[in-house]
Parts: sequence; C-alpha cells; structure tokens
Amino acid sequence: MTDPKHDAPADDASASAPDRPSRRGFLQGSSALAAAGWVSGVAGGWMLPTMHANAANPILLGIATDITGPIAPSGNACWQVAQLAAEEINAAGGINGRQVQLFLEDTASDPKVAVGNVRKLVQQRKVNVIFGGITSSMRQAIKDPIVNRGKTLYVYPQLYEGQECTKFLFNTGPTPAQQCDQLIPYLIKTLGKKKFAMPSANYVWPQLLNKYARKVIEANGGEVVFEEYYPLDQAEYSATIAKIRDGKVDCVFNTIIPPGVQPFMKQLFESGFQKNGGVAACVYYDENALNFNPAREMDGMYSCLDYFQNVDDPFSKALLGRYNKKYPNTKYMLTAGSASTGMYRGIMLYAEAVKATKGDLAREAVAAMYDKAKLTQGPGGPCEMVPGKYHAKMNMYLAKCKATGDTTSYDIISKFAMVDPKEC
Amino acid sequence: MATRPSSAATARPRLWLPLIEKVALAVAVFLPLVLRGEPQLVTLATNILILALLAVSFDLCWGYSGIMSFGQALFFGVASYAVALIGRDLDFSQLAATLPLAMAIGLALSLLFAFFLLLGRRTPTVIFVALGTLTGAYAAERLVSGWQYVGAGNGLSSVKLMQFGSYEFVEGADFYFLVLALLLLVYLGCRALVRSQFGLVLAGMRQNEERLAFLGYRVQIYKATAFAIAGAIAGLSGALYAYHQGFTGPGNLGPGLSTTAVLYCLFGGTGTLIGPILGTVAIESISYFLSGSQTVKQYWPVLLGVLLLLVVAFRPTGLLGLLVSTRERIGSFGRRAP
Repeated sequence: MTDPKHDAPADDASASAPDRPSRRGFLQGSSALAAAGWVSGVAGGWMLPTMHANAANPILLGIATDITGPIAPSGNACWQVAQLAAEEINAAGGINGRQVQLFLEDTASDPKVAVGNVRKLVQQRKVNVIFGGITSSMRQAIKDPIVNRGKTLYVYPQLYEGQECTKFLFNTGPTPAQQCDQLIPYLIKTLGKKKFAMPSANYVWPQLLNKYARKVIEANGGEVVFEEYYPLDQAEYSATIAKIRDGKVDCVFNTIIPPGVQPFMKQLFESGFQKNGGVAACVYYDENALNFNPAREMDGMYSCLDYFQNVDDPFSKALLGRYNKKYPNTKYMLTAGSASTGMYRGIMLYAEAVKATKGDLAREAVAAMYDKAKLTQGPGGPCEMVPGKYHAKMNMYLAKCKATGDTTSYDIISKFAMVDPKEC
Repeated sequence: MATRPSSAATARPRLWLPLIEKVALAVAVFLPLVLRGEPQLVTLATNILILALLAVSFDLCWGYSGIMSFGQALFFGVASYAVALIGRDLDFSQLAATLPLAMAIGLALSLLFAFFLLLGRRTPTVIFVALGTLTGAYAAERLVSGWQYVGAGNGLSSVKLMQFGSYEFVEGADFYFLVLALLLLVYLGCRALVRSQFGLVLAGMRQNEERLAFLGYRVQIYKATAFAIAGAIAGLSGALYAYHQGFTGPGNLGPGLSTTAVLYCLFGGTGTLIGPILGTVAIESISYFLSGSQTVKQYWPVLLGVLLLLVVAFRPTGLLGLLVSTRERIGSFGRRAP
C-alpha cells in the first residue's frame, strides 16, 4: 500500500526548519506543493471553430476527454480523431446542411475535475451531445451531470465492463462478451495456457471484466490462480510477480491501467515471464500503448479489439491514411484501446441519427434514432446499434503484438464478424 | 500583540475589515442576479462558496489556533462519502438531517484526531500535528480507493439530490443562496468565537503558548475545541460539495485537497476569516477563467506555486494584508470599551 510518490507531501512538510519549525517554513512547504501540481484543479476547454463560413447555426458536439494526466495518451488520440470526424462531416456538407462544431473540455484523468468541466459543456456551451470519458470511473462520474442533471445525450466510446444500460447513454466500444468470448478460448485451447493470473487495478472495469473473464476461463477448462486488486497508482509489484512465479502461472490477464501498468509491465518483463514461455493478454493494449511501455515489454502480448492498424479493410486503411496525413508523426495514434475508434464510430452514428430525425436535435428524438443507427463502414468494418440495448455489434479482431525495434504492430490472428455485445 | 500605544481612543484608525465584509456580502447576494443566463457561473460561484467553508475551517485551525492541519480534507471527504452513501443505500437526503449529521461526523472525527494528536501527555509540536493529520488524510485516501463498498477508485457518483421536504436542490440560484446563508452563519459564528474570551486565549496561545500554560490555561483543550469546531465546518462543506457536484471520490479526502485548503487560506490571509474566503474566490475564479486558454493552463499550477511563494515570502499576511493592518487583523476581544 505504500507508494513512494505519495510520500512527497510528508517530505515537503518535514523539509522545513529542523528544530522548532517556523510557520513560514510550513507556508513555503505548502506552496512548494502547489508548484508540484497538487492544485492542478484546472483544466479547460477550447473550441474548434467550423471550417466553413455558412456555419450560422451549427450542431454543437461536446468532447470530454483526458487531455492531461495518466490517461492523456488515449484522450489526446480521442480528441484528434474527433476533429477528423468533424472535419469529414463538415467537408461532406454537414448533417442535413448544418455544420458541426466541437467543444473540448479536459477531464484531466481526474473525476473530481471532470465533473466541473463537463458542466461547462452542458451549461455554458449548451452542446447537443457529449462524447467522451475513457475510464469507467470517469464515465460514472460524468454521466450524472450529463444525462440526469444536464439532460444531454451522452456517448461513451471506450471498451468497458458492460452493464451500462442508462437511457440516453450509448456505448460504442466493445463489451466483455465481445472481447473475451474469442480471446480466452484461444489462449486456453490453441495456446494451451491454463493457469491464469488476474492482476488488476481497483476500480469497476477490472472487477466486472474479471468476473466475466473468470466465467469464460473456467468454462473452457482453465484455472484462475489469483485475482488481485491494487490501487491505481501502485508502483511496486514484486509480490505479484513472485505469486505469478510460484503459482506457475502461464497466462497473465492484465487489467492494471496507467499509471500502475508501466511499472507492472516492466517488472513482469524483467522477471523473465515472457521469455520462459508465459503469455500476457490485455484487452486494451494496442499500438498506442507505446506511450506507456517500451516495445520489447509488449512483444507477444495478446489483445482482442474492434480495430488494429493492420486490419485488412479498405475503409479502415483509408481512414488511417487520412488520420496520419492530418497528424503526421503524432504519438497519439488511431487505435481501438484508446477509445479513438469508438469515438469516430460514436460521432458518425450521431450524424446518422440526426439525419434520420431530419435535423431534429431534441434528445428524445435523436436517442430514438441512435438506438437503431448503423454505419456501413467504419474503423474495423461496419457497425450497428442493437435496438433497445445501448450497445453496438461490430467486428472483433484477435491479435498478437510484434515488437520491431522501438515500434509495435499487431498481427491479426483471426477476425470475428459483427459480434453481439450481449448487454442489457 | 505588541500594539503601539496610540491615540486610538480618540481617533480610531480607519477599519477596513467591516467594510470588506459588507462589500463581500453585498456582492455575494447580488451575484446570481448579475449572472442570470450564465448558469455555469452560478454553479462555479456555489462551488467556490462551498470550498470557502473548507478554507474558513482551516483558518480556525492555523490562523487562530496554530494547528497546521493537513486533515481538513479528511473531515470534508468522510462527510461527503457519508451523505453520498446515505443517499445511495437509504435513499435519504433531507438536508435538515443529513447536514447536521455531516457536521457531527466532522466533529467526531476531528475530536478523535485531537485526542491522539493534541491531548497526549506530551505537548505536541506543530510538525507532529501536521504529519499526524497528513498521515490520516493520506491513509484515508488509500483506504477508500481500495474499498469496494464505497466505490474504490471510482468514488461515488450520481449522488442523490439534496432535499428539503419534497423540494430538490439542483445546482443553481437556490442552491447558491442556501450555501451563502450557511456560510454567513458559519462566518458569524466563527467571528463571534474568535473575538470572544475564548478567542483571546487562542490569540495568547499563538503568541506564547508556554506562558499561557503557565498562567493556568489548559491550552491543548482550547486547541482541541477549535480543531473540533473546524472539523464540523469541514464536514458541512463536504456534504454540500457531494450534493452539489453529484460526485465524491478518493481525491476528496487526501492531502491534495487539504493542501488546497491551506493555499486558499495563505493566499487570502490567515487569521482573518474573510481572507480565506477571498483567497478561495481568487484562486478558484482565476483557475476557471485561465482554463479557457490552453497555453496558460499548462503552467497555471506552476504560476500559482510561484505566486504563493511570493506572497508567503513578502506578504505573509496574504492578500488581505495589503489592506488591513496587523492591529486590525488581530482585533479586539470581549466587549469594546465604552
């Protein structure tokens, strides 16, 4: 439970005068804390003006994502793809002739900050819909100000633990059923890995995902050696690594997230787990994870997502081309685990829904159409909302990470067409 | 309290504090009228007033009693979790019951801390109390972020709206006035307290604790009392925060928020009660308006830190020290001489 980083305040306080501390010493200690960023309760927004002059009465899309903080690599990717999607919609003449305009608010990887900032989108910008939130803790924190108090439509783009069946909240990322039903049987039956370890961050996504994954593991004849939860920012995992070794674990099904995942992956790699034939699987790992770990630590890792950059689909290839052209050499790549594909899909589905309402932006009307919206093409292939279920059917890809030098790519092992989310 | 003998009896120096108090109150009362049509600013203002309560509670500790408490967020956070849980599990959020309960929780917790930190056999040093409260807040944050029942790292969201009878308080002008009224009550209560004979003992204690003890005062009891009252105020603030934001999380009980409370207070001016409120208003509104600009935003925490260092180094009395003399800041006690 100890985390060296968090001892900092104590150090600061005791750093003042050694004998009888003066008040001023304390004051300075405290201000040093401020400088260290404790009071970074600041996070802001800015808007992306429409490209066209005829945007007298644009449709307002709010984007609430983690531009700063540990989840920032994913959040920035989301924001970039949102801009691309808006640009494409506007270049194609808008939605029913109306341009779209984006407003960004930073959720700062901190629900406490996010709640305030999301309200700005609702109360100040009066947006028609909000896309965003990456971690489930973020979704849970901001859904109330958006959906209940804010009476605004909300689209959540990230893969997650399922069971979110709130009216006016649509999920455009994959669910546990979509991610586990193919991946786990493959790990057990094809690779012959039977002893699973489930190291996890302590919040709702790992808990519910593990519950589902455990069922699938046991149904396929595997065994869970341990399932453990750590504080999100834990930095020391030697006890976990020892358990993995002593329990003769041959598959680590990881649900630790940043900032804890960096030290965990490093320590797992250094323990020689992969070298000795162990397999790591993590269902949010994608090309963007390079922002968290060096390539060699991810070599051979399995993931199952709705899109990888190697996906053999003409639209996906073209989309990736457009993204890379707009953001050359960006480190925030178009990937699925970062919620970017869900973001693109969510915005395009919204455009379809508003077309179907013939421009009516009332929340009830749009939600009714969103409920059955479809995309014939999108990242990873087509997708369609399952009516009444708030989740989408989409293609899923099982892939293995291959490290080449400092970069990674994912080799697609198999594709599963239009997998049902099995939710609600 | 080395006040120069002066001709104050005949020609009183101009007193700024009453004026500042009145102006602040007038501004606060008329603000929602000015901000009609800008609901997000009313929300912001409400939030600031709620945090101002926390700042006042810290001022009671540090500014008046010399207790460097890094635990104010603990009392704040536990109360906020309590009302959120009562809303979730008991489906109950009547403010007439939950707000006093939140204060009682803050009071009880701070008494518990006082018992260990202040009322021990040996006279505690400032460092001891600071580290004790800091450890408490830190431990609580870690504990809560690993505890399923209270939402672990997620915190508790969709907090039930605060009710009075069947009336529900959503963020907006009514919530604002409720908080303003409570803040005013707390402020007047605290002001009466620190200007009473009790406050005089506190002032003496700040000056020379040993001498006071020598005179027969059990100074630690006085400190513990002030600390407990501050705890109750922090609890009230936490409950209002949870209801207003509709969310509470582990970050609300940790050293982070505790330090923020310290900053509000130091920036505005410790030991004045109104200073911390102004400090909260200043820091929170600057943060809000700066956050619109992407470039400044990145450096804002650094800027704030530097600004604070400057204030502390050159103006230890904070913003208020620019206007108010030391004599006025410390004030007079008991009944004014006729």
